[in-house]
Amino acid sequence: MTRQDLSLLGVASYLPERVVTNDFFAPGTATRRGMFTAPTTRRHVSPDETAVELIQRASARLFERLDLNAARDVDLLLTNVAIPDQAFTGCGAEVAHRIGAHPRWIIDLHNSGCVAFIYMMDLARSLLKANDARGALLCNVQNAAGRVFSATGVRLQSQAPVPGDGCGVGYVALSDVSPVLSIVRRCQPEFASDMVACADDGRRYWEPGASPISIRFTEARVASIIERGNQIVPQVVTEACREAALCPQDIELLITNQPNPIFLRNWREALELPKERHHDTFDQYGNLFGAAIPINLDDGLAHGKLAHGGILALGGFSHAGDYAAAAILRWSPP
Amino acid sequence: MMNIDPAALAQIPGLIRCEEFDREALAEHITEMTHTVYPHDQVYGRYCTIHAHIDCPPEEVFAYMANPLSLMEWTYSVRELQPTTKPDLYRGVDSGRTPIYCKTIAQRDALTVDYHCAWDQGDELWMVYLNRIVPAETVLKQPGSVVIWTNCRHPYYARNPFPELNRDPHREWVGDWWPLFYAGHSIELSNLKTILEYRQRHASPVGPRIREV
Repeated sequence: MTRQDLSLLGVASYLPERVVTNDFFAPGTATRRGMFTAPTTRRHVSPDETAVELIQRASARLFERLDLNAARDVDLLLTNVAIPDQAFTGCGAEVAHRIGAHPRWIIDLHNSGCVAFIYMMDLARSLLKANDARGALLCNVQNAAGRVFSATGVRLQSQAPVPGDGCGVGYVALSDVSPVLSIVRRCQPEFASDMVACADDGRRYWEPGASPISIRFTEARVASIIERGNQIVPQVVTEACREAALCPQDIELLITNQPNPIFLRNWREALELPKERHHDTFDQYGNLFGAAIPINLDDGLAHGKLAHGGILALGGFSHAGDYAAAAILRWSPP
Repeated sequence: MMNIDPAALAQIPGLIRCEEFDREALAEHITEMTHTVYPHDQVYGRYCTIHAHIDCPPEEVFAYMANPLSLMEWTYSVRELQPTTKPDLYRGVDSGRTPIYCKTIAQRDALTVDYHCAWDQGDELWMVYLNRIVPAETVLKQPGSVVIWTNCRHPYYARNPFPELNRDPHREWVGDWWPLFYAGHSIELSNLKTILEYRQRHASPVGPRIREV
């Protein structure tokens, strides 16, 4: 029996239709630089647009592209949604119902944020192998831009223009055709409390009140978060390369999360990769949180950035540095 | 209360001070300036500064470094230093056969020891090694000394100003080694640290150990 690897067979994305320009935010947004550099545009979900709907639209594209049958091919359904539709039920079961899948496992992950796609790939590999199962649908939704950062009182904050909404999905299966060569995951739990969702008046998100909830770093931590982000992503990508017996210069296409253009610049400088081999959509879609990796990959493939058989690297870090992950793949889907 | 006259600064362009640059504007600026990695040339291209902690009291480090003969112990290749007819100017050989001239200017109060050197001639000492010894207790809250060593890329590093004085046609010019100064100087600073810490540990005088031949 040959050992079957995990293969990423395809990705697809769906971006909400509502395009938001910089005049929606505080004056001076367009000229802001640094950590809060504003993209030219970003998408926002409308108030009645659910995460389930975004996943449904993105997966319809994926299934059509890969000629998949949801009922037959999805044994495992994994979701990661920035702002879940319901406060305490995940959306995976509703997604399964809408797309007509009957997965043996549904897992709604609420951790690993911006690297959730890689985290889910690794989890899928374990579960598929352990259960002799076929394939997994991985779903990332970022909807905090429309749901949190567009609120009156929040949209004038300097970080409000940076996030953008979108959904990216991927399909992985036990197969050797487009193999994942390595996955490196790190958890640094000591940084878990450096990002908080809070209101200016101290109201907790479950408490009644009118003050808007925002998501931010604890102020005193910003400098060390920059340092962590600068270092950890090149480190995990380099480590994943080493595990795959490659070096960073072998990477044909690097796809990362995209918190801001500074991190993007620093990561590719540290990996000594030219800009054209690091594809991002920041200026168009903003910080897509966990959805950035599948969306950027989909966009990069559409722009012809990765030849069949080329080395693809995925990498990033989440929140204030609590999780970091990278994966190396040989991209050769059928 | 003393205060500055703001009008005196208003006409000087390019200053970044909190009165005109608030925290947010500053954050934008410093974030852009901060990279993960820096090319070697950007860090060591024009100035080469290295530093080390040496577990030896500042006065003893100063005494050792201020003695030019110590260079024969801790440098990689400066040897045979002898006084010349000029005050404080020594002549020796570097890398086996190149004449090197060196004048040590030490300030005990400031704990600085600067070596003004040149190859081939002792009239224009342009290879300047700036050293500052700082009590580690003050800056690191630990015993010993911090040594900070800086070289600046004098234009003569790019081109030998006195080629007629060189009698060795195969000799490489000292300035051609500038891109390796960080490594080379780090090795020598490590020698300095190792010698001083060894003698300190063994409770023997810091040296140098010189004998007449």
